Amino acid sequence: MLRVLAETEQEAVGSMGDDTPLAVLSAQPRSLYDYFRQAFAQVTNPPIDPLREQCVMSLVTQIGREGNVFEMAPENARQVMLNSPLLSQRKLRQILAMDEFANAHERFRLYFPQGTGLKAALEALAERVEQSVRAGTVIVVLSDLDPQEGDLPIHALLATGAVHQHLVQAGLRCECNLIIETGTARDPHHVACLLGYGATAVYPYLAYQTLLSLGREKVLKPKRSGEVTELGRSYRRGIKKGLLKIISKMGISTIGSYRGARLFEIIGLQREVVDLCFAHTPSRVGGAGFRDLELEAGILMDSALDDSQGLDAGSLLKYRHGGEYHMFNPEVVQTLQRAVMSGNYDDYRQFAHAVNDRPPSTLRDLLALKPAPQALPLSEVESVDTLLKRFDSAGMSLGALSPEAHEALAIAMNRLGGRSNSGEGGEDPARQGTEKSSKIKQVASGRFGVTPEYLIHAEVLQIKVAQGAKPGEGGQLPGHKVNELIARLRYARPGIGLISPPPHHDIYSIEDLAQLIFDLKQINPEALVSVKLVAHAGIGTVVAGVAKAYADMVTISGYDGGTGASPLSSIKYAGTPWEMGLAEARQTLRRNGLRGKVRLQIDGGLKTGLDVVKAALLGADSFGFGTVPMIALGCKYLRICHLNNCATGVATQDERLREQYFTGLPERVMNYFRFVAEETREWLAVLGARSLEEIIGRTDLLRVLEGETAKQRGLDLKPLLSNDALVTDVQHCDAGTRNPPRDPALLAGRMLAAMTPAIEQKTGGEFSFEISNRDRSIGAGLSGVIARHHGNHGMRDKPVYVRLSGNAGQSFGAFNAGGLNLYLEGDANDYVGKGMSDGKIVLRPPSSARYLPRDTPIMGNTCLYGATGGELYAAGRAGERFAVRNSGATAVVEGAGDHCCEYMTGGVVVVLGSTGMNFGAGFTGGLAYVLDLDRHFVDRYNHELIDILRLSPEGMEHHLQHLKRLVTRHVFETDSAWGRTLLTEYRDYVGKFWLVKPKAASLESLIDTLKRAA
Amino acid sequence: MKPTPFQFIDVPRKQPRELPVAVRVLGWSEIYGGYDPAGAAEQSARCLDCGNPYCSAKCPVHNDIPNWLSLVREGRLFEACDLAHETNPLPEICGRVCPQDRLCEGACTINVGFEAVTIGSVEKYIVDTAVKAGWRPDLSKVKATGRRVAIIGAGPAGLACADRLARAGIEAHVFDRYEQIGGLLTFGIPPFKLEKEVIATRRQLLEGMGVLFHLGVEIGRDVSLESLEADFDAVFVGNGAYRYVDGGLPGQDRPGALPALPFLIANGRAVLGTPEAQNWPIAGWVNPAPTLDVRGKRVVVLGGGDTGMDCVRTAVRLGAAHVTCVYRRDEASMPGSRREVKNARDEGVQFLFQRQPLEILGHADGAGSAVRAVRVVETELPARGAGLTTKAGSETEIAADVVILAFGFRAEQSDWLTAHLPSGDWSADARLEVCRSDSPRSARIPDRLPYQTSRSNVFAGGDAVRGADLVVTAVQDGRDAAASIVQWLRRPV
Repeated sequence: MLRVLAETEQEAVGSMGDDTPLAVLSAQPRSLYDYFRQAFAQVTNPPIDPLREQCVMSLVTQIGREGNVFEMAPENARQVMLNSPLLSQRKLRQILAMDEFANAHERFRLYFPQGTGLKAALEALAERVEQSVRAGTVIVVLSDLDPQEGDLPIHALLATGAVHQHLVQAGLRCECNLIIETGTARDPHHVACLLGYGATAVYPYLAYQTLLSLGREKVLKPKRSGEVTELGRSYRRGIKKGLLKIISKMGISTIGSYRGARLFEIIGLQREVVDLCFAHTPSRVGGAGFRDLELEAGILMDSALDDSQGLDAGSLLKYRHGGEYHMFNPEVVQTLQRAVMSGNYDDYRQFAHAVNDRPPSTLRDLLALKPAPQALPLSEVESVDTLLKRFDSAGMSLGALSPEAHEALAIAMNRLGGRSNSGEGGEDPARQGTEKSSKIKQVASGRFGVTPEYLIHAEVLQIKVAQGAKPGEGGQLPGHKVNELIARLRYARPGIGLISPPPHHDIYSIEDLAQLIFDLKQINPEALVSVKLVAHAGIGTVVAGVAKAYADMVTISGYDGGTGASPLSSIKYAGTPWEMGLAEARQTLRRNGLRGKVRLQIDGGLKTGLDVVKAALLGADSFGFGTVPMIALGCKYLRICHLNNCATGVATQDERLREQYFTGLPERVMNYFRFVAEETREWLAVLGARSLEEIIGRTDLLRVLEGETAKQRGLDLKPLLSNDALVTDVQHCDAGTRNPPRDPALLAGRMLAAMTPAIEQKTGGEFSFEISNRDRSIGAGLSGVIARHHGNHGMRDKPVYVRLSGNAGQSFGAFNAGGLNLYLEGDANDYVGKGMSDGKIVLRPPSSARYLPRDTPIMGNTCLYGATGGELYAAGRAGERFAVRNSGATAVVEGAGDHCCEYMTGGVVVVLGSTGMNFGAGFTGGLAYVLDLDRHFVDRYNHELIDILRLSPEGMEHHLQHLKRLVTRHVFETDSAWGRTLLTEYRDYVGKFWLVKPKAASLESLIDTLKRAA
Repeated sequence: MKPTPFQFIDVPRKQPRELPVAVRVLGWSEIYGGYDPAGAAEQSARCLDCGNPYCSAKCPVHNDIPNWLSLVREGRLFEACDLAHETNPLPEICGRVCPQDRLCEGACTINVGFEAVTIGSVEKYIVDTAVKAGWRPDLSKVKATGRRVAIIGAGPAGLACADRLARAGIEAHVFDRYEQIGGLLTFGIPPFKLEKEVIATRRQLLEGMGVLFHLGVEIGRDVSLESLEADFDAVFVGNGAYRYVDGGLPGQDRPGALPALPFLIANGRAVLGTPEAQNWPIAGWVNPAPTLDVRGKRVVVLGGGDTGMDCVRTAVRLGAAHVTCVYRRDEASMPGSRREVKNARDEGVQFLFQRQPLEILGHADGAGSAVRAVRVVETELPARGAGLTTKAGSETEIAADVVILAFGFRAEQSDWLTAHLPSGDWSADARLEVCRSDSPRSARIPDRLPYQTSRSNVFAGGDAVRGADLVVTAVQDGRDAAASIVQWLRRPV
């Protein structure tokens, strides 16, 4: 971890999920930080992209006494500003030596004599700090430097929490600063925990010392210069990036808002600990108390003082004999592979035995079934085939998986009657209509490959709000994995990296999610819409909201979900077990009479029939499997997916590996699922149940086990099983259940009735309607019909012209298909042309308008999000995030808000007026022309990935002509007065345009692309 | 050059240079050379560093293979050597004699579809090169406890135990009846697999750590167990399994027929140059040491395990005219290392599979001084789990001048120990029954540490506990028995 931070200034990246036991279940002493799970935003507020939207992020930290912010006084401004809360040794010394602080700081040792008791020691410490602050101390340094034999350490996090909380209660916290000098903090999560519980700044001395000594031994090579001291600086940069990522997950911009905000969920600490140190943090299941923590501190202290013991190499990230237990250890992987290859149920039993009888590692391992007094004969239990319908494969994208593996999975699921999930990134149209087609199509934040055709070929449309391994974060497909096929499916160029933003830019609230669900139901009325969430405290409310937003299914992922590539701290520290999420969802839905409306699915670490039965008892209707089917296809859990060198050809795009070394067959996956279904039947028989449906939500059939260790015995899992205060008896949701929106979509219905014949017979035509802002997703239904009959582009040559007047509701022209030309006189709300693949959308102000159109918004935010083609002309300004993730549409607007052209990978955008800030962040493909009359554009674009060039007549004739054609077109379609002015005085204005292009693309290549498009 | 993630495809598996057959059969040197630093680094970089290190999981001592491979890749030799010793007190020996193809390399992720990383050769490289460059075990932080432990048997289990005890600040005294340390490592394993200088180097390292050897001392003859128990805080018994499995073959007592071990030990002494070799004992053998006169003769070795391979290859080097290995099952069922079978074949050994020996025939003229042939019968391959059956009427004779019986070994109860440990401590096949560190939880014996016998100050491990097994499992036992001893000595009294 440290080494990667110092050498690359980035956090280490890993793959696959976290398969170690929760800290509280572990038989090993675990770091206190491991009990803390980071909070993240899903649906209720958007996470931020800290890299592309750095302009809104800050780690600036102030040191000094804080005064009343409403008082303008010089003493309130007497503060030391640090650019981050992470101190170097030099900075710490400088601060403590400053005149203000030299006599106003005190160091507190975080050790106590054995026998005092940890709790008493903490209370005494907080008391001493209070006295000191009352006496005038401004900087409180809590330090675990300098251990002495016979003493036990107080963990820095406990001390920080307790002292902070005590000072707040005493009304003294603003009088002082807490600087934590600790050897316990190494990675961004550790630092985030300390800050989240009140630390002002952190000095991780042990990390520096380690780096320095590794540097001196020439093991580490500093990135920037040869200086060993540079390592510490690089390490800090890495940690800072990690911190930004952690706070941005929650949609927080500044470290000041994060400090003391306790944005965590605790799993496995006893109430006494939470109350004294971490009050108001959700902690639902109890766990380790002060005694247990003290015991572990003692064990650590003993082994630290025992020189004959070497340093433990650690075994949290990968399996090591004698180290932490791993749920996908070699035995589990090998027995499973033997079973799926032989097809022999006895071999599977060995695998099931290795899993079901493991040491308690997940919460469900502490729940046992209550067998019925009289088991049923197996023949009376529902068949394997009906059970298989409840099994899905979890979303894994083509990009993470090789095409061979992805197809094998789809074939297997289709043959079994389950459903496979396309994952993000589209699906080859050649697979549609064959057994290689995935029944679940995912709509993720990158919207890669989301076209009308893609959407209508789905039984289930899954909106991936978050991913178990990295909730609240976006993703990045590195350029070397983007080959011809992937580039084609994602409407991008080979070799250029693709970025998925952390949030769906059209989901900033539950209402927005309802809108997206409505859009999807408009374009594909037959499909079920599912929403994938990650378990965390409060998910019940979100799930209830999703049910009220008319989703048909909800998938709840556990923290242990897999990934192709994620920063390690996300894999380890974000999300909670699905058991907790599912229990909360079940309880909230049933308390609110919503359980019959949505089907609940869980995924995350499911392996055996026993897992399935326990999940069903906790309330799940269906089950997603990710990692295990991959292992059935040959994956050996190597955790190198992110390197593209998967030796089993499962998770790589490398030709050699895929062709020669991929040995997976759909039959193996099918064997696996049949085994699981068979085992599920056996457990059902034990429970005396004829079908899975009978036992869904029957938590009374579960018994809480005591646990093997003191920490496990401290857990209280009864809240998970509680079914109190329920208003309905409905425990499950039938397979065919739908959750139809209340909005009858009247205008869309009339339009469909009027135009369907013209579409089906491909006769084209012209139609007119009045529109109001209650008419949402207008055009989506039509595009669905077009795509069903003619595909994305098939009706181009016989378009239907739809003339509308009025104010359009949200998602006007969403998922527009070829041959649908929408003309709107008036204005439109958010999300115009989202997911557009072809056709045309034209917006113009009413002729009666008395305002200046080029200064006036004509459409809302996040228009053309994820568009893959088509044209949009608007005689007016667009809102924020115009053309975000555009990968093919051509658009002309007369002004745009902030973050225009973010994450764009293709297409052309012309802005005939001013833009907001952060133009072109994450822009890796396509081009843009921006008219910059006030010469502020240079300060407004994001410099990371794009170049801007002045258009000059020399050598840029193609671009001059191209721009002129587009403006001419704009004038033709919208009759824009401003456009006409520009054309008349083209020579004068042309020099005021900037051409925006990705740094990675040359001008020549852009011209080639233009020519090919023309 | 920084290795790419595709090193395992781009760079083929390459063992260090192997001595050509014509040269190697002329002498006793090891047939494999060593890597140079670049070669070792290049081969180490083929490791994927995968998330489930199957190599390490399969290894009986669970060597941290991926990590020392990556240290070798970075040229951090001394650290690699430290790390190798953390799990294995005798890494250079295991690197040479372990059947890697059945253990770490067989389990290596890229052994399927590609070729495994050369783990064994790198292990050998690490220690050989590091020791040559001055690496020594660092015991500077060890505090002497003043405790003393007697170890019976200087074989792999005993040496491993001594190493760990020394690192725990306990004075280890190793007793052995032979003239040199190593047990089977020195006397049983032929030098072309394990050169005797390697053992000598290891002895220096151990003595440098403070381990004391008392060689040529036989317990029960020169020293009694009682006196050991009186003089030492604990005793570790690692006296091996030497009794050869008696096939009960008619004619096996003929002068030209002899068991494998005396043959190998006599040869070991000859290569070692022990003066007055005849005066030293051979475990499990009461007769005088056999002569090694096979030059120009036809040698038939019965048995297809690793010992069988050692015998045939030794016979080749002793100048036998014709060496044949006879094995009851087919080649795929051979229990030993594939690599050794290949080497034997390369060196000109003939293999006869699916032949069950029936009798060793002598000369009809009654000369009686030697065997004439082995009568064998063809066997049929049994289905899984079924016993071998023979084909009626398929008996043939294989001409032979010398027949070596290599049917394996088992443990033997020594009188000096039998007197001390109750019969409950012994298994039916004369093994000492203790719980091992790799025993399932259900096999734990209450109130006893792993490797502790019913006499709480007496511990046991290695072949004496397992019956004939690998060197590396003996190392594991010795290592973990030492941990038990340390724990037991720390008990509150």
